Order: sequence, then structure tokens, then C-alpha cells
Amino acid sequence: MRTTTIALVVAIAGRTAADPLTLRADAFASTQAPAGLLMLETDGKVSPLVSAEAVVWTAANPLPGEHAGDVLVIALRARTADGTASTQLGRFVAVLGAIRPLQIDGAAGRVQLSHGFYTEAYAGVPVLAGLGTSRTWDWVVGARLARKLGDYGSLGIAVMEQRDNGQLSSEEVGADAGFALGKRDDLAARLAYDLVNPAIADAEVTARHAHDKTLRFDLYAGYRAASHLLPATSLFTVLGDIPAERGGARATWKAAPRLELSADAGVRRVDEDLAPTAIARARLALDDTHRSALTCELRRDGASDDAWTGASGAIRVALPYDLSASSQIELVIPDHDRTANGLYRGQVWPWALAALAWDQGPWHAAAAVEAASSPETRKRIDALLSLGRTWSGP
Amino acid sequence: MRRALVIFALVALAACAGVLGLRKSGPQAFPHRAHVLKGVACTDCHRQVEHDDGKALHVPDDASCITAGCHAKPHDTRPCLTCHAAPEALAQLAEARDHLAFDHGKHLTQTKGNCMRCHSGVAEGDDHLRPAMATCFKCHDHDAQRDARRCDACHKNLEAGSEMPATHLAHDGDWLHEHGVRAASSADLCQTCHAEKFCASCHGVTAAALPATLHFADPFTPSVHRAGFAARHSLEAKSDPGACQQCHQPDRCATCHLAKNVAGSGRTSPHPPGWVGITAAESSHGREARRDPAACASCHGGAGEALCVTCHKVGGVGGNPHPPGFSSQLRMADMPCRMCHR
Repeated sequence: MRTTTIALVVAIAGRTAADPLTLRADAFASTQAPAGLLMLETDGKVSPLVSAEAVVWTAANPLPGEHAGDVLVIALRARTADGTASTQLGRFVAVLGAIRPLQIDGAAGRVQLSHGFYTEAYAGVPVLAGLGTSRTWDWVVGARLARKLGDYGSLGIAVMEQRDNGQLSSEEVGADAGFALGKRDDLAARLAYDLVNPAIADAEVTARHAHDKTLRFDLYAGYRAASHLLPATSLFTVLGDIPAERGGARATWKAAPRLELSADAGVRRVDEDLAPTAIARARLALDDTHRSALTCELRRDGASDDAWTGASGAIRVALPYDLSASSQIELVIPDHDRTANGLYRGQVWPWALAALAWDQGPWHAAAAVEAASSPETRKRIDALLSLGRTWSGP
Repeated sequence: MRRALVIFALVALAACAGVLGLRKSGPQAFPHRAHVLKGVACTDCHRQVEHDDGKALHVPDDASCITAGCHAKPHDTRPCLTCHAAPEALAQLAEARDHLAFDHGKHLTQTKGNCMRCHSGVAEGDDHLRPAMATCFKCHDHDAQRDARRCDACHKNLEAGSEMPATHLAHDGDWLHEHGVRAASSADLCQTCHAEKFCASCHGVTAAALPATLHFADPFTPSVHRAGFAARHSLEAKSDPGACQQCHQPDRCATCHLAKNVAGSGRTSPHPPGWVGITAAESSHGREARRDPAACASCHGGAGEALCVTCHKVGGVGGNPHPPGFSSQLRMADMPCRMCHR
């Protein structure tokens, strides 16, 4: 990975002078560990058909068990002039239809076939946190075949196999679909099926109806079997599981040019617990540019002993001299003030943050004070600070 | 009573009209429509638009208004567009120039100088002057490019742009929770705007910090970890088993809890009374493990699984942990089968 990093940085640095190149550095500090974080990111185009991107970070005083630095992304992308084929090399998040996203060190490619068909595939080593910690015989391969249905949607099937230390860790097939049913309605669905311990691992469907430009309705439903999300090498995958299910409806209404209202009502079922969920949210822009805005939200969520009611609000105000001030507050009231083993965790968990940000051309800076009371800490006050600078090429 | 309520609502609405954006206060959108109705040609003010270099904004200056003789006696000493232009219009125009490859000159020839062919919004009002992408498709057939995700014929450097699609793929509603199912069938389409780091900042195993933490000064940055998530995360995790594992590794919980000294040796057991009993009826850990196996795996994964097989092994007191009808493609020599089936 280090060799790849150096090679990619050299490749980006060696681009022609006319190609765009962006370099950004961000420093972040908090009184809560990790105390310091430095992130460097760069992206650029070597040519119109070849581009590269890298994000690396290093932390000062990381938490025990955490790493002091790592590579988040380092990817080289290329495609043919007509766009019928593309490839990607390096470290990236591999996405393949209904199969869960997976960060890998490897390669991915996509080829457009005839009659609306296209195929995509990836192969590589699943990423482990920390540089130089990859195990032998870790690998993952996946492929997807899909077909576009004109302007109306697409259908796809995918398969993935992952090995950890040479042993089968995950083998899934997935199916995905997306349809635009006219100009106002659309539907999307995905289903992932675990082949190692045969059962549905994850399924989700969502449908939307846009009544007009200001009013939209959504229906959603999901099914997730948590044990199938674990590597098959885990003992906890053989227990058989109780899936979690959820479903509900949502309405979003732009009531006025500056005011948006939304309401979400649903139900979640885990085992024999049936838990209603409800969210009401309003957002009001304080100017026509929407740079200043305030939002408030009421929420009822959680199942059984973990149910809670909450209220939150946030405001951001644009100030002169490229400054902006923001403030957020949240109050969470758990139904039960004790944990399952009887520990007292408090009746109300307040949280607040006040921040001042400065965004002037390539410079970005922000400072904030955060205060909270949580089940773990009765009182806590932290300070946060960030400073960033972007350099753009010609 | 009902009439009083209606009157009250109307008065309240009128009072709040400015706040809600129903009544514009401050600088107003430029009255394009009024100028068109007076017979002023677009190029009378937007000069040199026929020689478009792809960079110039072609925004009229005061000289265009004054020296043309239309507004020979301005009523104010300030630049005209200080008041006669929507404050966001110039920023939107600059954004469009930065991220769209477009030549007005070529289009003027095709439309025979009729700007309204594309800027049809002028006929309806002054707020939406930038043509929607669908307007382009009335003349241009981009089906092949769209299928090949070649947006760069018109769009430039989309990853750096701040504007989100308005007429297609609108990221509204609860997009944060919906994006997965919608991206499943069109991840390549997402990549036309989003750089790799965008996905990796949440789905990456090696992400340095939570997006909400890094963007702490922007309360409107979407994130599942918004606001006081640190306090309520245990409730959310227990109520939605497997949700955390969509992005995090199973051992993430234990790593953080140990580091922050909220779990581990010397701490009170997180398990309630009756967690492990002599009979199945007296024992709750089995059902809890089936509800949220990922939570158990966080602490007891890997070497910690040996704790389970002290009881749950062939001939052990814990009995068979498999559900009725259990089947697996693994061999007995594979992990975790070989832990019990020796």
C-alpha cells in the first residue's frame, strides 16, 4: 500500500500543468481524544480520461487500540473515451448492487455490453484498519450483471465471495431494481441473500410519489438479519437470528419558499417488540440564499426498554466578514432511566454546541464548545477546533 | 369562532410572509419579464454573449443601464444590481459557469437569437432563469452519453460543485437513509458527482473521524451521528440491530468502550441479572444473542468465542445453539464449526 501511495502521489504530481489539481489540508483538534488529527487530500486529472484521488490522515494521541494514521482513499481511475469501459485501482469503497459496500485494496471495472446490458466486477483484499496489517489469504471478489430498461429503470444481479485467512467468510447474492414510473413516481429495491448460512441477509424497498414540486410522499420498508452481516467465521452466525423489520411513510412539504416541513411515521419490529417511530421536522431558511437557517425536530424512537423521546434544534446565521455562527441543542428523555443491569443513566440527556466558522476563499476555520450530559458522564465540556486550506491548480 | 380563526390565520400568515419567503424583502430578483415586455432585447444588456468564452458571466454593469439611455437618471448612486438582483443569483451564475461547459454564442446561432427558447422561465417570472436540464434534452439527444455516464461533455468538475440535482435524483426526503437502496442499481451514476472520499468517509474502515465531528460547525451536514449521538447511540443500536455494522466493523464497539473505560476489566458487567441460568427458561442470553448477534460479537468475537463453547459444545451443558432447520455451506473443519464439532 505504501508503494502504491508513493506511486500515485508521483503520478498526480507529474500531471501536465493545465490539468486541475486540488490539494487540501485539514487540521482538527479536540479536548476529547484523539486530541489531534491532520488530513491531507488531493485529487486531479492526469488527462480527461484518467483521474486520481488520495486521502491520508494521521492522528496525535489516538485512543488505545486506535491507529495513529491510515489511508482512507487512494484511487486511480481510467475510462475509455466513449465511456463504455472504466476501471479503478487502489483503495476504495467497492459497491456492487445489493451487496454491502466494502472498502478494498484492489481493482474494479465496468464494461458496457450490447442491448442495454452492462457488467461490473471487483477483486482485492478487504481493508483492515492500520497500515501493514493485512492478513495472508484475505481476498474478495464480486461481479454484477445489469440491464437498463430504457429510461424506465434497471435490474441487476450480483454475487460476492470473501475469504478471511483463506476461509470462507461471506458469500452473498443480491438483486437490485430501480424504476421510474412516470415523472412523479419511482421505486427502488434491493435484496441480499446469504449463501453460507442460507437466508435473506438484508432487504429494502422504497417508493416515492412527487405530487408536485412542493409535496412528496415516501413509503419504505426494510428487513435485516444481523447475524448475516457478520463474517461466517464468527460463532454468532450459527445461532439463527431474529430479523429486524421496519416500515413506514413519510411526507415532505415545501410549505413556503423558505419553509420545509416533514413528518415520518413508522413501526419497527425486533423479535416480539413492536415499536412505533415518529419524526416531525421543520426547517426555515432565514434568507433567500439559505445560508442562514434554523431547524427543529421532535422524535419518538426506540424499542421496548430502549425507547426515547427527543427534541432538537439548530440554527446557523451568516455573519459579515465570511463568518457564520451556529448553535445546536438536543434533549433526549429515555423511557427508562436505568440500564438492563440496573445502572442509573440519568433521566434527561442534554447536549449543546455553539460554533463560529470562518470560510474565506481557500481558508476554512471553525471553533466550537460542546457540552453534554450522557449515560456515561454527568457533565462534560469539550472544545473543538479545525483549520483547513485548499490549494487549486491552474 | 371559525371565522375568527380564519382571520387570525390569515393575519398570522401575512405577518410571517416575509419570514417564510412569500413576500420578498431586500434585493429583488431582476425584473427580466418587465424588460422583455418593454421590447428590450436580451443582448442589449447581456452584451458580448455571442462571443462566449465559457468564463465571462455577461452580467450587465451600470453602463448598460445608463448609457443605453433607458435609465439615464438613476434614482440611486449605488450600483443597480445592489438592489435589482436576487442575492443568490450571482453566486448561482458563477457556479454554473464553473461547472458547465456551455457556449451561448453557438446556441444563439441555432436559436436565431431567441434566448427564450431555453430561458423560458422569463415568461413565468424572474426567479428561475437557469434552464432545467430537461430543456437541453428537447434538442440534444444525450441518451448514449447518459448510459455511459459521460456527463463531462457538459458538466465540469462535478465533484467540486455544491449544487445538487433539482429535477432528477433529487436528494430530498430522508436521503441519508434511502441513498443505499437508490444507489444499489445506479452506483455508477452516483460516481459522476461524488468522489471516492465521499463514500469512504462513512463506509471506509479507515475513516479518521465521523463526518459530523469533522463538520461540527455546520448543523445541516447530513450524518447519522448528528447532535448528541454519543449519548443516545446505545438506544439506537439496540433498537435497530445490525445498523452499526452497515459501516462499522463488529469490534468497533468494544474498541471504543475499552478505550473510554466504559467497559472491560474492573467494570460492572453490562449483562442484566438472569443472563446465564441453569435452564433455558432462567437464561436470557440466548434470545438476546439471536436478536443482536453483532452486539455480542463486538466483545466476544474471535478468541472471546471460546467462552460460548465452554457450554455450547457437543455434549456440553449449553445444548445445541442452532435453530431448527439450521443449515450451512461450511465444512466441519471450518471456523466456527470446528470449535464444537471436533
